[in-house]
Formats: sequence, C-alpha cells, structure tokens
Amino acid sequence: MPQPTDIRTELAKAPYEPLLPVEKKLIAWSLGTGLVLLVVLAIVNHFVPASF
Amino acid sequence: MSAIQTASDRAPWTTTSAAPWISEDWLSVVIGLFIFVLALAVLANVDLIGWVVTTSVWSNLGQALGTASKAYAPLGGAGALIATYLALLALLSAAALALKSDVKKFALAFTVVFWIAYASWVVGSYANFAAVTPADLQKFGISWSLKLTNEGGFIFALIAGLIIANVFPRFAETIKDAIRPELYIKIAIVILGGFFAVTAAGKLNLASSLLLRGIAAIIEAYLIYWAVVYFVARKWFGFNREWAAPLASGISICGVSAAIATGGAIRARPIIPVLVSSLVVVFAVVEVLILPFLAQTFLWHEPLVAGAWMGLAIKTDGAAVAGGGITESLILAKSAAEGIKYQPGWILGTTATVKVFIDIFIGIWAFVLGYIWTNHINVTRDKARIAEIWERFPKFILGFVVTFLVGLYLALGTPADVAAKVPAAIGEANTFRVIFFILTFFSIGVLSNFKKLWQEGVGKLAAVYVVSLFGFVIWVGLLISWLFFSGVKPPLAS
Repeated sequence: MPQPTDIRTELAKAPYEPLLPVEKKLIAWSLGTGLVLLVVLAIVNHFVPASF
Repeated sequence: MSAIQTASDRAPWTTTSAAPWISEDWLSVVIGLFIFVLALAVLANVDLIGWVVTTSVWSNLGQALGTASKAYAPLGGAGALIATYLALLALLSAAALALKSDVKKFALAFTVVFWIAYASWVVGSYANFAAVTPADLQKFGISWSLKLTNEGGFIFALIAGLIIANVFPRFAETIKDAIRPELYIKIAIVILGGFFAVTAAGKLNLASSLLLRGIAAIIEAYLIYWAVVYFVARKWFGFNREWAAPLASGISICGVSAAIATGGAIRARPIIPVLVSSLVVVFAVVEVLILPFLAQTFLWHEPLVAGAWMGLAIKTDGAAVAGGGITESLILAKSAAEGIKYQPGWILGTTATVKVFIDIFIGIWAFVLGYIWTNHINVTRDKARIAEIWERFPKFILGFVVTFLVGLYLALGTPADVAAKVPAAIGEANTFRVIFFILTFFSIGVLSNFKKLWQEGVGKLAAVYVVSLFGFVIWVGLLISWLFFSGVKPPLAS
C-alpha cells in the first residue's frame, strides 16, 4: 500500500523549472489565437443573429 | 488521513484486483439509455416507469410526494418513494457489480445516501422555501417565502452533504462507496439529451443557433483560459510543469476529467490530477452556492447569458449542469414575478450544451498538450498517440447525443398521435434525471471537506485557483457568454 503523501511535501519536493521557449510559444499562440478568434466570432455573431 | 489517500479512495469503485469489464463512463451511457428506453414505452401505451416519485411544493407533508404518472396515483407518495428507492438500489447495485465493487457495502451506503439526499430535496420544496408567485403564497396560506423554487432542494442536498463532510467526517467515510457524483451526473446528462430534444423541437432554429454559439464559446474558453491559468501557475506561483498543466486544465476547462486527461497526456504522476480534482470539487461547491444567485440578481433579463455563464464558469460537469438547473428555476421565478413566463428547459439546455462541447474537446486538447510534452518538453519514446483522443473522449456524451437525436426524431418525425405522447414519456425519464441531480449535489457536498484539505497544505494550489477563478475565469466567462448569448431569449411559455 502506498505511503500517504502530504500535498505540502509534494509541492516542496517539486523542482523549480523556468518557462521553456516552447511553453512561451504555447501560451502566446493559444492566447493570440483565442483573442483573434474572439474578435472574428463576435463580428460574425453580430451579423448573424440567432433566429427563432 | 492525508488528502491524497482520501482522493485516491474516492476515485475507484473497484475493490478487487481484476479490472472491471466496463468503465464508469460507458456504464452511465447504459443506465441513462436504459431509463430513456423504458420511458419511451409510453409511446406504445405501456407506462413502465410512471411510478417514479416526484415532489411538489408543499405546506402539508402528506401532499408533498406523488407519482410521475397519474396511472400510478393509487401507489401514493410514500409507495412511489419506496418503489423509486428499490428500483435505483437494484439498478445501481448491478452497476456496482459490473464495476467489481463490493455490492453489499454499496447497497448499504446508497441506502443512506438516497434517503438523506431525497429528504433534503423534500425539505427544499417546503412552501416557505420554494413558493414563488403571490398566487402560490396565497394557495399555501403563507405570508413569506425564500422563493428558491422547488429546485432550491438541490442547495439543501448540497448543504446536507457539506454538513456530513465537515461535521461528521467518519460518517462521510462510511458512505463513500455510494458517493459517485461523476456517475450520477453522467447518467443525468444522458437522460437530459432527450429532455433537451423535446424542448428544442418547437424552436429548431433557436436550438441550432445555441449550438453554434456554444461551439464558439468553448473554443474561446479553451484557448484563452488555459493559456492564462498555465502562465499564472508557472510564472506567479512557481509550479513546475507536472503540476501546472493539470491545474490549468482543471481550473480552466472542465475540472476533474480535464485534469485527469491532461495528467495522463503529459505523463504526470497519477496522484497529481487526483489532488487537483479534490480542489476542483471544493471550489465548484463554492461557485454553485454563489453564482446562480448572482445570475438571478444581475442576469435575469438575459437568461441564456446566465445559462452559458454557468457552463463556462463552474467546473465539474455535476456542479455546472446542476448549477444551470438552479439558475433556470431562479430566473424563471424572477421573470414570472415580473410578468414574463419563459418556456422551461432553455437555460438548463444552454448550460448543458456548453458543458457537453467543453467535454468533447478535452481529448483533443489533451492530445495537443501530450504531443508538445512528449516531443518537445519531456522527450520520451512514449509519444502521444492519435488513439488517445478517443480513449479520453467522455463516452457519456454519446449517450446525450443518442437521446437528443431519438427525442428529436420522435417529436418531429412521427405521426401526430405518437409525437403528442413524447413530452409525457420524456417527462418520466426526466423525473429520474432530477433524482440523479439530487444525488450528485449531495455527493459533491460529502466530498468537500474544507478543513481537511486546508490542513494538508492545499493552500498554494487554492491560491492559484482563487486568483484564476475569481480574478479571471468567472469574468471572462461572463464576457464570452454576453458576447455570444446576449439578446437571445428563450421562447415564451404558451
């Protein structure tokens, strides 16, 4: 049976890891695409209103 | 007991070493479809489940309970309640058996869970809590009411669970075998597909507009939420990647399932998403106690914005969809008091649609992360595979789609005499859906031992959650909901 582990201990054991370029790229692309799509979809939404 | 032990104990139903032959996910589809098919017997003039118990707003307890169908009225409220308990006990014990759980332990625990949860629901339907309109107050001979509607009973079930978890933790431990919020809500969502179909059938254009807006909202939620929460966890709070990725998915996407899918995709130790999941459940409780009332106060004139907001802001399927149910009843009550009577089903349908779309994309998003992780971050031979998208796809969504399509066909594609019976048939299945909601709420409460989590050092994780959720996720969710759903109103009740 595995030993019980404390969350605090688990977090303390976790090593510091600087943001890698690939992570920065992931964040930037995800956020950038999201914001651009937000504007595009909002415009589409404005011109194609919900129909009843 | 540590939080990790606690969380691990909660996760599997399985008590034997052999793997069950069916997953909980598929089992929810089987059970949901089983109830749905039984309900459809009404179309052939055979009422198989009309005995299921239903609760009305009451001031005299003797009149609180009844049967879903008048055909079974002679059974009486108490008879209906006992019949419902026995049917669910048999059905879910068979499920426990399929999952190779200890059936006897499950049956005992479920008995306790069912009676406490349903008692809470009945209390919530008491006229002073639930009556809404002046006519209702007059009918029950009361001068005041909290106006929670009878769906306020969900809150009572949640509070009952919270009391047990935080005041009687040993008792909570003894009933843990039947504390299965994910299973209960998945069954409910499968049944909900048919109910939503009947609601949508009358307004197909509006329903398809909602679906398109739901997709747009979800793409946004994934792309914007995840990136920001991951950045906050990594940069501001110094979490390493193994913690930050499941945490970001748990907070930003869909709680438990997203955290677990992401943990698996990036090859994190299994314990990490389990811990994140514990936290997600606790925060979902806080949200479900606050957001529906905020929505009623500030968004009652934009009901579908409120519905979408619940789907985007509240994490975990159970809390979100059930939160949508509470929001619907609160907003319908407030609108009715203002003289506007909306058709029921649209607000809850919007929440469920948003949540189902979120779930659909979990596998794809987990694959994207898994691909980046296994090829660029922790380069390993154990590469992410396309097949993982299907493996992580939440199968209960298939059940939702099936009941939705069947319900839609029956309502629109059958002769008028058959179509006329569809609402009654689906209504009986929907009564079971409400009971599974009640079980979900109670179970979520029982899982939420705030004190224990805090004592075990969850503070730093909780800090990321608080900053992300209350500083960002809730408000961006509101903005996105507003952008895509404002001005779209549910049809008026005829």
